[in-house]
Amino acid sequence: MNTTQTSTKRGSVLIAGGGIGGMQAALDLADSGFKVHLVTRDSSIGGTMAMLDKTFPTGDCSMCMISPKMVEVGRHPNIVLHTLAEVTGVTGEAGNFAVTVHQKPRYVIAERCTGCGACEKKCPKLVVSGFEQGLSKRKAIYALLPQAVPNTRVIDADNCLYFQRGRCKACQKFCETNAIDFEDQGRDLELAVGAVILSPGLARYNPTIRPELGFGRWPNVVTSIQFERILSASGPFMGEIKRPSDMRHPRKIAWIQCVGSRDPHKANPWCSSVCCMYATKQAVIAREHDGAVQPTIFYMEMRAFGKDFDKYVDRARNQYGVTYRRTMISDVKEEAGTGNLVLRYAADDGTLVNEVFDLVVLSIGFQPHADAPQFAATFGIAENLHGFAATGHFTPVETSRPGVYVTGTYQGPKDIPETVAQGSAVAGRSMALLGEARGTEITTPELPPEVDVTGAEPRIGVFVCHCGINIASTVNVKQVAAEMGAQPNVAVSEDLIYACAPDGQAKIKALIAQHGLNRVVVASCTPRTHAPLFQDTIREAGLNKYLFELADIREQCSWCHMGQKAVATAKATEIVRMNVAKARLLQPVTTDSVDVTPAAMVIGGGVAGMVTSLALADQGFAVHLVEREARLGGLAAGVHRTLDGSDVQAFVRDKIAAVGAHPKITVHCQAEVDSTGGFVGNFKTTLTDGAAFDHGAIVVATGGTEYTPTEYGYGEDPRVITQRELEKRLAAGLDPARTHFLMIQCVGSREEPANYCSRVCCQDAIKNAIAIKEKAPNAQVTILYRDIRTYGLREDYYRRARELGVLFLHFEPERKPQVAPDGERMRVTAFDTVLGREVEFFPNLVVLSTGLRPHPASEKIGRQYKLTRNADGYFLEAHVKLRPVDFPSEGLYVAGLAHAPKNLDETVSQALAAAGRAGVLLSHDKLGVSGIISKHNRDICMSCLACFRVCPFGSPFIDEDGKVSHNEVICTGCGICAGICPAKAFQVNCFRDDQIHAMIDAATENIA
Amino acid sequence: MTGQAHAAPREEAPPIEAPREIPPDWEPSILAFACHYCAFAAADLAGVMRLSYAPNVKIIRLPCTGKLDHSYVLRAFERGVDGLFVAG
Repeated sequence: MNTTQTSTKRGSVLIAGGGIGGMQAALDLADSGFKVHLVTRDSSIGGTMAMLDKTFPTGDCSMCMISPKMVEVGRHPNIVLHTLAEVTGVTGEAGNFAVTVHQKPRYVIAERCTGCGACEKKCPKLVVSGFEQGLSKRKAIYALLPQAVPNTRVIDADNCLYFQRGRCKACQKFCETNAIDFEDQGRDLELAVGAVILSPGLARYNPTIRPELGFGRWPNVVTSIQFERILSASGPFMGEIKRPSDMRHPRKIAWIQCVGSRDPHKANPWCSSVCCMYATKQAVIAREHDGAVQPTIFYMEMRAFGKDFDKYVDRARNQYGVTYRRTMISDVKEEAGTGNLVLRYAADDGTLVNEVFDLVVLSIGFQPHADAPQFAATFGIAENLHGFAATGHFTPVETSRPGVYVTGTYQGPKDIPETVAQGSAVAGRSMALLGEARGTEITTPELPPEVDVTGAEPRIGVFVCHCGINIASTVNVKQVAAEMGAQPNVAVSEDLIYACAPDGQAKIKALIAQHGLNRVVVASCTPRTHAPLFQDTIREAGLNKYLFELADIREQCSWCHMGQKAVATAKATEIVRMNVAKARLLQPVTTDSVDVTPAAMVIGGGVAGMVTSLALADQGFAVHLVEREARLGGLAAGVHRTLDGSDVQAFVRDKIAAVGAHPKITVHCQAEVDSTGGFVGNFKTTLTDGAAFDHGAIVVATGGTEYTPTEYGYGEDPRVITQRELEKRLAAGLDPARTHFLMIQCVGSREEPANYCSRVCCQDAIKNAIAIKEKAPNAQVTILYRDIRTYGLREDYYRRARELGVLFLHFEPERKPQVAPDGERMRVTAFDTVLGREVEFFPNLVVLSTGLRPHPASEKIGRQYKLTRNADGYFLEAHVKLRPVDFPSEGLYVAGLAHAPKNLDETVSQALAAAGRAGVLLSHDKLGVSGIISKHNRDICMSCLACFRVCPFGSPFIDEDGKVSHNEVICTGCGICAGICPAKAFQVNCFRDDQIHAMIDAATENIA
Repeated sequence: MTGQAHAAPREEAPPIEAPREIPPDWEPSILAFACHYCAFAAADLAGVMRLSYAPNVKIIRLPCTGKLDHSYVLRAFERGVDGLFVAG
């Protein structure tokens, strides 16, 4: 590295924060040739998501999703993890920053530590666990969570007996690799990077600020994050729902919403965006864990604004018996003697009710970390009014300092998929900034040529690991090794104290050479985390890395059969024998690669399509932007201002001009896709206007349309208009003085046939209401609504509208407002749920807040590319949480309204994310095919099409000769094709039928 | 196979084997097929949490339970396992 060349850009990026947003950015950047320094103040990456049990609205296990990503980050050759570390200063400018980092001492030498955990077991000191939210205890030497990455323990010096009283050192005594270092002083680093990404995540509101809710006083009042840990199978109660005071199973559980949110007096003025949904999820999961639970959620407004969120709430209400009460709880009291809690609230009819609950969960909101001002100062960026990073509406991931980007909840409260999307967006922005330096700071290891093992008799080496005492205290490791030595084809069988430690790996390599081994079996821990490590080891010794098997005798044997030495040893022997049987049949796997055309096609010329195109073109890729209309701009062309007053027209004009001027972008207007052939990296498309081109990626940004209402006399009476029409009139100079505007929300949304929230209409109504009241305070604005969904920092504008005198009135969908002409005015009657009677209004104009619909073209595009859409017609992403802009089919991405209704800033984030994800793909000259894939034998295939029908990825296809062929590039190796194929023409590498049969035979060898 | 049986009926179908008595100390031998991404990971987590369970279950890792083949099931029962657990 040459740090003196200040004029050139660096090929590395620093990411501050190791939660899911930072991890996504790190992986995208590292996968596309950038060196990444990931700095986190915790001892492990994972962030908030690693603390969650399940995620809404799919109920997927959070740890199951994030853990493989954590392992991937931890093992990525281009990612350097700096844990327990904080950035202390940033100088320089975009493209070339000098960053100083202070790393606190861990007191455990990572290079020596194998993560065996013997130290933790022997540590005598118990400390209240912060990760478990005080519900259980950990040791003074500990891992943040069982799946911690890195898996090196850390000593909590504030609680360590040695540091506090000068004696103990039990950890050091029992560490067999001599990894404990009480003299560790930490260190200061200087890093030179081209861009900086901020993903520090969030803090949570401290509910003791509101003593009336009883947190900290009544033991059975818990926070939502505590309840998350209570639900977790790896949490303090192992997923059993118990309450802290007496460990009894609570029946009646209450959730109190908006604790610490939407309250400018004793809490934060903003909406935390996620609490309505996580409370619903917790209620549903609690019911799933324990059918006797009766959940009640006390709320102000049900903000289920995201994709398929309303349907989830409906399901919670109707299928899981969750009771929703629109009322606020003023205080929580404990019932003497029982530990139960009394909640006092106003019932629907206005009477005051006391209801007793066994457990109360406070839905606490998000806020920036306490040191956010310091953090902002260190990075030299501006904060907004509330201490979040200041960003623009059209530049949602750019901070005030060029080259410093922000993702996740530090930009504003948001959920996991939006954080992940912003993670890819900041990666994409960094790639655009540093494009020319890509690949300059990464190193590829030199490897010896692979030994040809074709036709050679298997010579298997078996290495049985003690894992310190983790395996050896339960399993007789030497006995297992001796028995394996007697197995056919086993050339050498040895035991190792730590197979994964440097000396263990050196021994494996030496014995491969010494005995001419051509297959290796290690019996130690789980292949999920350690197989890649040993695969690299044998590859360094000249063996193909697929000539390896890992037998899991720790997680799946010694750790669950403690104290049963004989049976555990017998089981370990059987497990290793199964893996040896499989290893005998292992074959080397050669991986192919295909070329990638460094160009993208973007379908749709609205904001999403234009932003994606520009972001990709800025990365240096050619872009074909296809728009069916005569001009670019899409739906936003009809919007004048955003909620925060930003000029949409100017933004759209700028983007159209920039797209037109960009040398890398070819615009195809009045054209549609006629046909696309090929696959990821190698598509060939012909348009209806005859244009034809090659490209490596496809971004679907087909956008949406506005619903044209038939309700409330629209189209019959000119005094009934839409929000968009009102906005147009206001922009054209309409004088609202002394006029009464009555707005009706959710027109054509949240009921069949469009039973989803359109997300933008509340903002639209409030935006226009504020514009009217600011222009003419004597104008009257009434908004009839079901729930005002000004989520996140948008809540400020809801408050502003109320302060300006806008009248809000709630209605239920069963009793909709009635609209009729009444002389010069309109007459609107609505049932006021608070007053309990009908009220009448006589507005001059009735303004309908109409919803969004997917663009009709999306149906055709969906058919063309075999893309699934949800019941409402929006495209389904590959994974709701962790792959929000990818399609399941490789090489295709989605952005904007085609995915779901969203606001303009969110569309920009998502468009940048799609460009980031596509950029990762297009940055490769060649695309490597994975080793674990399904291999197709055409000679015995009958082309029955069973595989063609079941493959979720579209890998099998009907070839030019009318028979089935298999595209290995997009195969993920799941083997569903192999399972269904009647001719057994598909076999998955490393999971072939003969290999599995051999394992079954070995497993049943001792059955009488 | 059923077609053949109908075409050439045997003189007398072999009697169906009566279920045997289960001895009180009998332990079944169980084989599990687990998806690499979820159920196998769950089995690992059980270990990490030191949950104790009977040792007479062994796990074969598959890339996805969609990879399960009827031949695995038949072979396992043929070879004498008492129960199969497919998890994914």
